[in-house]
Amino acid sequence: MANIAEQRIRREFKEVVKSDEVAACNIKVELVNDTYTHLRGEIMGPPDTPYEGGRFQLEIKIPETYPFNPPLVKFLTKIWHPNISSVTGAICLDILKDQWAAAMTLRTVLLSLQALLAAAEPDDPQDAVVAQQYKEHPEIFRRTALHWTSVFAKGPKKDKELEDKVASLINMGFEEHQARVALSTNQWDLTRAAEYCLS
Amino acid sequence: MSAETTSPNNNSQPNGDGGTPSEDSAGTYECNICLETANDPVVSMCGHLFCWPCLHQWLETRRQRQTCPVCKAGISKDKVIPIYGRGNPNPQDPREKLPPRPPGQRTEPEGSGAFPNFGFGGDGGFQFSFGIGAFPFGIFASTFNFNDGRPAPPAHGSPQEAEEQFLSKVFLWVAIIFIFWLLIA
Repeated sequence: MANIAEQRIRREFKEVVKSDEVAACNIKVELVNDTYTHLRGEIMGPPDTPYEGGRFQLEIKIPETYPFNPPLVKFLTKIWHPNISSVTGAICLDILKDQWAAAMTLRTVLLSLQALLAAAEPDDPQDAVVAQQYKEHPEIFRRTALHWTSVFAKGPKKDKELEDKVASLINMGFEEHQARVALSTNQWDLTRAAEYCLS
Repeated sequence: MSAETTSPNNNSQPNGDGGTPSEDSAGTYECNICLETANDPVVSMCGHLFCWPCLHQWLETRRQRQTCPVCKAGISKDKVIPIYGRGNPNPQDPREKLPPRPPGQRTEPEGSGAFPNFGFGGDGGFQFSFGIGAFPFGIFASTFNFNDGRPAPPAHGSPQEAEEQFLSKVFLWVAIIFIFWLLIA
């Protein structure tokens, strides 16, 4: 690995650990291996959003050309958000692509992701299904995102009605995650979700 | 309230803790790319400090859209200023290293008065800067013999005159075609 990348990550790592946001438990970074090429990030769901109280794990891979090229970041925790793939966790955020600047750090990237959770961009979606729901059925979107936060990100608020619907699809013999995705995609309509699973 | 809370932590104050430079004041001179104390420092027009090797690599990475890594202002190799400290421990001229650091830009002070019309640069400079525009008219001038001080036209009826007439027609047509090309292009 290029020397500059490793040295910078070392410094940034210290910076993140010392920052005020860590003290407030908003963001966290930890090492996965000793070479500083692979890190694990964590952000708190921002307040007043369906993600509030959730803890979202991120995979951060540092390219050899860092900081001249952006780190490769994706969500490990499943999340229901227009700019994040509900399947792969891939993120659509300009600063992780062409708007990257060499002065940005792990700390600013994590804070930007937190801001993305608070302000989605449905017109530049990563997950078209989620984006469509966000635009056409905002209340269903909010409940779905809240449900995903409680199931995958240890969110505090549970939605009994949605959980019961997942349970009834499981009783019909479908696998749990498949059932949840089918219901989320079909605005929590049991009949359509069952058809979706069968097709 | 906020001033009270920040002042005890602000080590960059001159009478901060002890004689050693604190971490905060050293941070003032850190390169915005490698985060180390800047080496061969240059500063952008927007005031951001970088190591020249770091900034050079950034500019090479983003050739088509060169922006300041901190504030995304427009930036280019010609628009950064090297910083020369006094006590440089390294005697080698940094510009001899690769990549070369851009040279400082030295502007003449205003109102020196030594060469009032120096900026005009003489007629040669004028001809070059207006080259495309003036070229066809130059041809007209020479075709119709507007200028004085040239050899007299050859005698009437001599073969030299016929040849020159022919040449002048050729050049006239070249000029017309050129003007036509200028109009359609």
